[in-house]
Amino acid sequence: MLDWKSIADDVLSREAAALDDQRFDDWIDLFLPDCEYWVPTWIDEETVAHDHTSQISHIYYGNRAGLEDRITRIRSGRSPASTPIHRTSHLFSALVLLGEAQDKQFEVRSSWTNHIYNPHKKNVSVLFGSSIHTLQCVDGQWKIKRKKILIKNDFLPSIVDVYFL
Amino acid sequence: MTISRYIDDRPEEGIFRVHADVFADPELFKLEQEHIFGKAWSFLALESQLVKPNDYVTTYIGTTPILVMRDGKGKLGGFLNVCRHKGALLCRKETGNSKFHVCSYHGWAYSSTGKNIDIKDRDGGCYAKSFDCDDHNLIPIARFETYKGLIFGCLDPEAAPLEEHLGELKTFLDLALEQSPQGLEFVPGRINYTYDANWKLQLDNGLDAYHFSSTHTSYVELIRRREVEKAGHKDAKMFDFTKRFSQNGGMFSFENGHSLIWLNQAQPELRPLYSKIPEIEKRVGVEKAQWMLKLRTINIFPNLQIADSTSLLLRTFRPISANKTEMRVYCMAPIGESPEDRTFRIHQFEDFFNVSGFATPDDTAVYEDCQTSFASSQPGWLQGYQRGMAATTEGASESATAIGGRPLASVEGPWIIQNETVLQEPYREWARLMAPALRAREEEGKHA
Repeated sequence: MLDWKSIADDVLSREAAALDDQRFDDWIDLFLPDCEYWVPTWIDEETVAHDHTSQISHIYYGNRAGLEDRITRIRSGRSPASTPIHRTSHLFSALVLLGEAQDKQFEVRSSWTNHIYNPHKKNVSVLFGSSIHTLQCVDGQWKIKRKKILIKNDFLPSIVDVYFL
Repeated sequence: MTISRYIDDRPEEGIFRVHADVFADPELFKLEQEHIFGKAWSFLALESQLVKPNDYVTTYIGTTPILVMRDGKGKLGGFLNVCRHKGALLCRKETGNSKFHVCSYHGWAYSSTGKNIDIKDRDGGCYAKSFDCDDHNLIPIARFETYKGLIFGCLDPEAAPLEEHLGELKTFLDLALEQSPQGLEFVPGRINYTYDANWKLQLDNGLDAYHFSSTHTSYVELIRRREVEKAGHKDAKMFDFTKRFSQNGGMFSFENGHSLIWLNQAQPELRPLYSKIPEIEKRVGVEKAQWMLKLRTINIFPNLQIADSTSLLLRTFRPISANKTEMRVYCMAPIGESPEDRTFRIHQFEDFFNVSGFATPDDTAVYEDCQTSFASSQPGWLQGYQRGMAATTEGASESATAIGGRPLASVEGPWIIQNETVLQEPYREWARLMAPALRAREEEGKHA
């Protein structure tokens, strides 16, 4: 039987570490080129958006190119929101398998808390929520096929970027 | 302190300056609540948010909580969202539908007309007779009116009617509001964030063409990369911003502090509205339809902006304190839009705007940098309100006249002007509303 929990723990840990260490090439490399990356909004206090084509998302990319744009901007040195770069600490837990694990693909839910320090303003913000990763094994490597991120505290402070999530 | 301490307005000498203290003084924040947000018309909601009888929306005018309701017969009303008994917020949700609102504290109940329909255990309450003489209904907002689907409220009973307040701006506001025969709606999805700076920095920035090529350099470069290298998030179908820099544009300003900036559109086919232009031309005429394709950002004084520079946006920026502001941002769209155009609109909107977009966070970051310096009075008179003064003409420019627009003043010319005179009328209105309070404060000081 597939050891989905070890695989998920490994991929999500590598993702968190890549973001926290600002190794963005390593982070991008965890995603498949045709991945979906989706951060839905809340429609009201208790309802989450369910359709990125007819409802607003905080972020929606139908492939990895959007994430590549993000990293290009962060590295440009020309984005005041990204310079100096913020420091983050990603924590996740509560890995739960959704549906059945197949040999080459499964879906896992996690809870997360991310602390973000802005060294320019010298302040800390915290984002927390849950994520669903669809992981797929391609050429012997487990990669992210889909990531859906739900931000629970959506009265947001000033700036949100992919490395805060 | 008289108003000249804050706004230095000497048109005959070509001088218009705003003092840094305007953005930072906590005492001014208090006076603004009373004299700006207590006097001006504030945007509350879209009529299309309250379609059915008993639909409601909660919001604020300044720091005052507001409840907008459609009653059982379909009539719209605006009230303070405050129970008459102990002052608790009555309705605790942002939107919904309910015939009745019952206070969570002591159970006083109100109908969707605002009428008090129950005081819990009233009969056994041994109230004195005088209690019956009190009005127990919700307090209506002093003034409550709509314009083409926009609902406004005003706390000042003496205020001029809404249409008079909007005045000649209406010609240009209609370019947003008449984009669909069925009206406009908000695309579902809440964008709500704060920044640590004064609300007027958003007022300034929304009308500021000059910052684009410096604050948003990283974004402009990304768009170039998408165009040239065919790499990145091309799905957003975003404009090539460098093409904008060779266009003509300008500004119009109006009475009561309203103003707008505009620019001709280099790539009209990248407007989500583009496929609807033939229908729109038939309905509003060719000139107005073509104007709808131009880039426009309107500021309705004090704190409502309707931007149509990428896909159509409505935002409010509400002061929470002198150095903290709440943003509510909505993607606005024609009701009945095709699913394809809607998706195009949404993805273009998300690319630029929002706390998580490619451009807005860079604006927010620089507002906060400004506010950091305003903690000191030392920055003094700011020099950011004078660009374009030599190009500003009285009355309507040619492009305004084309659709019967009658602004107080215009700038029309190449993009490079990037005028700042568009900000002068908002600050004149700010000065007009704040001057009596500042004079009174000075008088008090003399007698103290």
